Amino acid sequence: MTAVHHAGEAGTPPVDVNDPHLTRFDIVKEGLRRDDIEIVTYESQFHGQNSKAEKRVVRNIALLFAISGVLTLAFIVFYIVWPWEFELGHTRSDYFTPILGLTLGFGLLALGYGILAWAKKLLPHELSIQQRHGDPSSDEERLITGQTALFVADELGVQRRPLLKGAIALGLAPVGIAIAAPIVGGLIENPHKGDLPMMYTTGFNPGNNGGELVRLTREDGSPIRPEDVTTGGQMTVFPGIPHGATNHWADSPTLLIHLRADDAAETRRNAESDKNGRNVGSMWGNFVAFSKICTHAGCPASLYEQQTNRLLCPCHQSQFLITNNAQPVFGPATRRLPMLPLTVDEEGFFVAASDFKDTVGPDFWERP
Amino acid sequence: MKRRKIDLAQAPVNFAKGADDRFQGATPLRGLLNKVFPDHWSFLLGEIALFSFIVLLLSGVFLTLFFDPSMKEIAYDGSYLGLRGTEMSAAYASSLHLSFEVRGGLFMRQMHHWAALLFMASIIVHMARVFFTGAFRKPREVNWVIGILLFLLGFFAGFTGYSLPDDGLSGTGLRIASAIMLTLPVIGTWLSAAIFGGEFPGELIIGRFYIAHVLLIPGILLGLIAAHLGIVFKQKHTQWPGPMRTNENVVGERMFPRYAMKQGGFFMAVFGVIALMAGLFQINPIWLFGPYRASEVSSASQPDFYVMFMDGLVRLMPNWQIYIFNYSLPPMFWPAVVGLGALFTLPLAYPWLEARKLKDKRLHHLLERPRDNPERVGIGMMAFSFFMVATISGSNDVIADKFHISLNAMTWAGRIGLLILPPLAYYISVRICLGLQQHDRQVLAHGVETGIIKRLPNGQFIEVHQPLGPVDEHGHPVPLEYAGWVVPKKMNRVGALAPAVKGFFFPVEKPAEVPVSPAVGGPVKREEIKSGR
Amino acid sequence: MTSDTPARRRARVFSRRRSAPSRARRRLGAAVRMIAALALAGGVYTAFTPGAFAEDNVQLSAAAQEGKALFDNSCISCHGRDGQGVEERGPSLIGVGSASVEFQVSTGRMPMTRQEAQAEQKTPQFDETQTKQLAQYIQELGGGPELPEGELVEDLKTNPDALARGGELFRINCTSCHGFGGGGGALSSGKFAPSLHDATQEQIYAAMLTGPQNMPVFGDNQLTPDEKREIITYITVQLQDDRDPGGLFNLGRYGPSTEGMAIFLVGIVLLVFTSLWIAGKS
Repeated sequence: MTAVHHAGEAGTPPVDVNDPHLTRFDIVKEGLRRDDIEIVTYESQFHGQNSKAEKRVVRNIALLFAISGVLTLAFIVFYIVWPWEFELGHTRSDYFTPILGLTLGFGLLALGYGILAWAKKLLPHELSIQQRHGDPSSDEERLITGQTALFVADELGVQRRPLLKGAIALGLAPVGIAIAAPIVGGLIENPHKGDLPMMYTTGFNPGNNGGELVRLTREDGSPIRPEDVTTGGQMTVFPGIPHGATNHWADSPTLLIHLRADDAAETRRNAESDKNGRNVGSMWGNFVAFSKICTHAGCPASLYEQQTNRLLCPCHQSQFLITNNAQPVFGPATRRLPMLPLTVDEEGFFVAASDFKDTVGPDFWERP
Repeated sequence: MKRRKIDLAQAPVNFAKGADDRFQGATPLRGLLNKVFPDHWSFLLGEIALFSFIVLLLSGVFLTLFFDPSMKEIAYDGSYLGLRGTEMSAAYASSLHLSFEVRGGLFMRQMHHWAALLFMASIIVHMARVFFTGAFRKPREVNWVIGILLFLLGFFAGFTGYSLPDDGLSGTGLRIASAIMLTLPVIGTWLSAAIFGGEFPGELIIGRFYIAHVLLIPGILLGLIAAHLGIVFKQKHTQWPGPMRTNENVVGERMFPRYAMKQGGFFMAVFGVIALMAGLFQINPIWLFGPYRASEVSSASQPDFYVMFMDGLVRLMPNWQIYIFNYSLPPMFWPAVVGLGALFTLPLAYPWLEARKLKDKRLHHLLERPRDNPERVGIGMMAFSFFMVATISGSNDVIADKFHISLNAMTWAGRIGLLILPPLAYYISVRICLGLQQHDRQVLAHGVETGIIKRLPNGQFIEVHQPLGPVDEHGHPVPLEYAGWVVPKKMNRVGALAPAVKGFFFPVEKPAEVPVSPAVGGPVKREEIKSGR
Repeated sequence: MTSDTPARRRARVFSRRRSAPSRARRRLGAAVRMIAALALAGGVYTAFTPGAFAEDNVQLSAAAQEGKALFDNSCISCHGRDGQGVEERGPSLIGVGSASVEFQVSTGRMPMTRQEAQAEQKTPQFDETQTKQLAQYIQELGGGPELPEGELVEDLKTNPDALARGGELFRINCTSCHGFGGGGGALSSGKFAPSLHDATQEQIYAAMLTGPQNMPVFGDNQLTPDEKREIITYITVQLQDDRDPGGLFNLGRYGPSTEGMAIFLVGIVLLVFTSLWIAGKS
């Protein structure tokens, strides 16, 4: 080998382990020699046995174990006797979890530090050197293994039998696909299926209400009159269809805003001169309704600032200017919030004149 | 013949003989008992992750006994008055039940969550140690890759677990996850529909995440952790350079008894810290968040800290949308998909990139001090500062609110910081490394500063240096070779002055050890070795 | 069970508060209260006004007279004579109502020290009686929303469901800005929604009624007085008074950001010190 110093070769000579004169440590050292380990230092941390210092350390470790025992016992006792059922207000049960944590935590820490102190302070100091033997296999070995592997391939004889090669490719490939198919195929759902494809319609589509216009409702399903929302107020509204306020219609929550007269005038001006015309005629009086679902990542963009007329999304801080067709003015959102065309039915309740004309929710590849 | 009496003292021996007859375990077992491990505090950081994973498994099994992964809507009728009568999914109701009606359930839930955070935090710290000391170099590249996969899996395990209670905060996170899937070109809508079983949120996702969180991901994690440890065991641990330490040996302690005992004690300490945190600090109070409703959100909605960098990048991304004919590529695609991908693939490839640049094909078992590879430290600090800016931006609204900074200013600060700070961090850390290295070389060449000022006959003042090695005939020190290890820089470190007082709070009587350096250690005197007792 | 769908059950949960009191009864009640208030104001007026002529054309009660004195001293520079407002400095106070004054003055937001993104909460400059007097003055000046008489929180002993209903309303109307834990949150460009942890019942009620600064208005048609009381019950009982059951420290209920800091500052620091000790030379 190289110039590397090998304990097993150059170090102590091998001993006969059956020699009755050997101490146990001698046998251990022989084992170490065979494992290519050399002990450089191995000495007690104390001067003489039962020294004062050693006794002190032993006492401290015993104390740590005792503390651990007391605390974990306390954990069990508190676990059993302390009132734990939740009660409103400032009650004793509020301290159940902290007590469990403190007793178990410090109990385990005391145990851990006891064991660590034992290992660190009581056991002898040791410095051993082990040889790594990180050398790769010899070239000869590599050659043999490689040839063996090639021999296996030769035995199969695929190279010599082109028909089999074709059969593997054509005949057996479907087996792999057949195993994968049910796993993948079962998961596939067409996101664009149906008359009301989910990506493009919401609960406000009259198609979900038997062709009738959909009312705007509160979370409990009660319809909304214009006077229910004060000037400068906003209300989260849902489609007035069965389960309209549940997560089944997760794209439908909408923010109905009652603007002050001057803001409303500006909003109307901007809506009427909308470039693609989608927001034309969507306001009703001083009321305007925007999808609550952020066009960036789908969080409810509902932090309505009634003086600056901004809507802020709390997830990624996109800001939309309500008076300007809810165009994004800051943050990562690119697309404005879709406006819900509003009108009032003969009973005086708000209805959606149609579904949203822009696609609601976060952007995706196929969105026109 | 009469039955032989059982010799109790002989029983273990017989048992061991029988075992070896069948499994031939004696020789490998001796190897295991005798295996030598190097000892350094930074080698224990990975263990924190291992031990918190064990706590995660234990507490997680407990939680599964009470959790119901169903999205069926029910009315809550438990003891938490603030939600009684509220419609919610069975998953959320069972999480509340677990927190309020199971004795110690809340404590276990909090232990599980804190252990998860500790798992991820210690992986990050461990990864930084491995990176900055060059421990990932050949032959350990594969283990570095496994480590990064462990972080990635921990990321997904954490995210799926965070989603399971189906509370208001985690539902918002799920919604963002669905939006991220939607940004994928061509397959986005199909992928989201496949995972959620239709339109978000559907009725399946909690059940699917549940099986991923309790079976698939932990299964793979367990396998990879086993491989990670097995490779460390096979390749033997790296060690710092120093006296007697070479690339071909390991200097340290045998595994048994001392090293194994330290590991056991450390496990108890990790367990204790997790239990302590679970009792002291409230985490994820789902009862305040309410059930998930698509229309409800809270200000300061954030993911757990190890996902925050991604959320921060998404927050900082300008609104640049790409339109290709009738198709569009939303801006969130870049930070969330490309960014996340790059943040994992670049570190994944780094060992090979560095080896290629340095044309280094050797095996490395000795670590490098960070200062000895300034380039790597610079790159690491660059990545770290990028990660930090992104993570801080992930909670920029909380910072803006609590420190009265404009939210928009925070976003801009993040955008600019993301571009400026990494190169700055690179430059500064490279300069610091070079400076530290320079100082070491200076001491090796000229010796230790003694603090003694001498006046020469011509009036010049010079400081006397104590050479670390031999001197030539003129009394000038013979320059010592740079060995990449600690160099004594104070006189008391070479034993020339009274030793520095040791002790953290009060002085310990024992004098400080004389440090050993390859440069000054010289041939180590080896004494006859006796048993420690 | 099959007929008892979640939606229907939810509707039932909500229907109680929707049906009572009915719209007609609410209106009737409002009319009665109005007449009573007018009568009371008139009575007070006749009892206290001396024969002398009031300075202004508005007849003010005694309390309002005191309020006017305070107003002319502290508020007039921005809000102008008779609360008409001053361009670029302060809005008109005609029609803002006493509720608005009580909110702004009792939280110390008014008088403002300087113009900024948002009026800061400070130590109030006026005591309770002074605040009431100011409020009375503004109320008599131009009318507007007023705080109702009586308790602003529900008694959970007689009405235990109020807490959960309040929570539900809180989450749909309030959390987006004030947060799940009521700790407040950032708004655009330096504005913010304040923490609710030290808000009084009156302040919360007044804020919902009047929509101070950038907060939207929640009029009585949108959130009925009962619903407002339920929300206040949730905020005061659940968010302010209930001790967190999950630990000695709630980390400010800021969520993952402080939790992430805690794991590094406490967990990792403790364990790194431990490992330093383990591997250190003894």
